[in-house]
Amino acid sequence: MNGWLIGATVLLAASAAPLWIVFRSGIMDALVGLELAAVLDTLAVALLAEGFHRQSFFDLAIVLGVLGFIGSLAFARFLERWV
Amino acid sequence: MTARHVVAGALLATGIGIELLSCLGVLRARDAYDRLHYLGAASTLGAALVCAAVLVNEGFDQAGDKAVLLAVILAVCGPVLTHATGRAARIRAAGRFTIHDTERERADEPAG
Repeated sequence: MNGWLIGATVLLAASAAPLWIVFRSGIMDALVGLELAAVLDTLAVALLAEGFHRQSFFDLAIVLGVLGFIGSLAFARFLERWV
Repeated sequence: MTARHVVAGALLATGIGIELLSCLGVLRARDAYDRLHYLGAASTLGAALVCAAVLVNEGFDQAGDKAVLLAVILAVCGPVLTHATGRAARIRAAGRFTIHDTERERADEPAG
């Protein structure tokens, strides 16, 4: 158990806050909460990769960062008018 | 416990502190526009500090370079996403992105 794993645990626990926003408030607030949760979980995956000394798992964090961005962009685009 | 670990720990603690503060801000803010401010801080400053902590700890090997790439991706995607979300909220609320005539405070502002 080193500092990196503690940091990852704290980040994963903290992502409960934006997820609370996702379930409790309006659709646009939920989108902002989703985006913040995606950033928190991306950093949590990066810290887990560092904590377990598995350098190849940083690719997971990079892909999650890019896909989180693309997914939220698609949500934002369709929430303008069509959904 | 070398100096490198101390600096990495401090950067990590600051980065995670910023993420926690932005979570608190998102919880406390009133509407979507206010919440977007905290999203910007979390994805640029918080991510940069966390990845700097990994870089300091690892140096410029595989993990360090990937942490720098991750910080660059999050720092570029964050503001773009913040603008897209604000634009979506505006269009969803007001029908279009540009100013409506009714919202114009001064009469001499150019029309839409």
